[in-house]
Amino acid sequence: MNLRSSWALVKGLWLSWLQYRSFFFILAFGWMIPPLIYMLVWYTAAGDQGLAGFTRGEFAAYYLVLILVNQITFAQTNWTVGDMIRTGQMNQILLRPIHPIMDAVAAEFAGKLVYLIFDVPIVALLALLLQPQMDFQALNGLLFIPALLMAWALRFFWGYWLALLAFWATRADALLTLQDTLMFLLAGQVAPVALLPGALQTAAIVLPFRSMVAFPVEVLTGRLNGTDLLTGFAIQAAWLAAAVILYRLVWTRGLRHYAAIGG
Amino acid sequence: MRALKLVGCFIRTSLQEEAAYRANFWISLFYSVLNLGSGVLGIVVLFGQVESVQGWTLPSTLALLGVYLCVTALRGLFIGPGLDSLAGMDGEIWSGTFDFTLLRPVNTQLLVSVRKWRLFSLADLLMAAAVLVTAVMMLGVTLTAWQVAAFILTLLAAVLILYAFLLAFAALVFWSPGVMFTWVFDGLFQLARYPMGMYPGWLQLVLTWVIPVGLITTVPAQALTGTISWAALAVSLGAALILVAAASILFRIGLRRYASASS
Repeated sequence: MNLRSSWALVKGLWLSWLQYRSFFFILAFGWMIPPLIYMLVWYTAAGDQGLAGFTRGEFAAYYLVLILVNQITFAQTNWTVGDMIRTGQMNQILLRPIHPIMDAVAAEFAGKLVYLIFDVPIVALLALLLQPQMDFQALNGLLFIPALLMAWALRFFWGYWLALLAFWATRADALLTLQDTLMFLLAGQVAPVALLPGALQTAAIVLPFRSMVAFPVEVLTGRLNGTDLLTGFAIQAAWLAAAVILYRLVWTRGLRHYAAIGG
Repeated sequence: MRALKLVGCFIRTSLQEEAAYRANFWISLFYSVLNLGSGVLGIVVLFGQVESVQGWTLPSTLALLGVYLCVTALRGLFIGPGLDSLAGMDGEIWSGTFDFTLLRPVNTQLLVSVRKWRLFSLADLLMAAAVLVTAVMMLGVTLTAWQVAAFILTLLAAVLILYAFLLAFAALVFWSPGVMFTWVFDGLFQLARYPMGMYPGWLQLVLTWVIPVGLITTVPAQALTGTISWAALAVSLGAALILVAAASILFRIGLRRYASASS
């Protein structure tokens, strides 16, 4: 992999995005609102005596970590790659002497830096207001890092292969909206997965969405025991492998199908 | 009279435009159903864990969701599309085509507010009505004439308040084109999905006095599910009139700042 050109891509994108930072800050603000609503609703519902094994402060801690994890793992190329295929901008990227996925990876790094500049101060302020509590253990902190990295990679490849369906269908973004709804319901946003009713909870654990956001949050906030941790990592790894295979498959097939509209 | 005739014309042309993209109907329906489903499931998950939050139960919160869906459907029907084409991304103020709108021999504010209709939103309105009816049936009360009248009046006030805010944010674009003020409002407006009472005190103050999201959904839902005081009804109607007047004045001042763009 060509390191210098990759770094140049990241730097170029980051500088150009900082120029439009107010636009990206507004986007980040919009993504933050749904988890924020559910944090406040559960916080109030928990009252002084707590609810379903969560105290008020634990709800606050869970959701504040979730807001950050959701932003770090958020797959923005999910939407933009489809547009690039539809409008023909993909042509330029295909001509570069570097694999096209590197463009998406560069956008990831550049974007995350801009978004976090906005998110971190707000989360810090909310932490001061809501006084989160959590039982922090060094082991959980260590396990959080691979869980977060795998969540990011899973969400990235999953979003990328879905976006590549634009090679065939012009309205593939309907699938992305369906995915967003499932993310909202099953990735720990509407409620921590442990609080979902029976069928939804099973779906959340088996499908890839919890592995994309909620799992690292549960790891860090210390809500999982030994076996839960192991199965969680196993499910995450299995879906990551599936996502990478799907990406390779859709990419090679799609490229042959690509008609390069526009110029 | 002339205004009504114009509105009729605008509705007809919008219908013709929409009818050209028939496959879009199914995609839009799919989005609406997802939106409805995630809203309802969010409430079901919450009240699966707890009987009531700050006096709000499953049926009354569902009624509030019905109000939210109803207000957003009315926004999508004509206020949103019209103002979006004015002040949204690549809107007329940005591109300079607003010159042609200004030349029309009709009041500009009226023209930009009613010129575009998205008739699909009528389907959203039907779904919202279904949610409201379900909620009232679950409450198991018979509505008095006073309750129905209060509900209709507060709902009308809610739509006017929402209109005033959207108009004011559209007018702000005259001062700084390119800033997506409406997106910030959209983010905050999502907070209207849940009753004000479920948020912490400091946020309730903001949502009552700064951005009166509480007046838009909480008050009509209270009118339907319980009884609201004359005072609340008066405040709601008064705020609607004052805000619409203020937004119209702001829009007129903004108009004078418009200096056209490249055309």
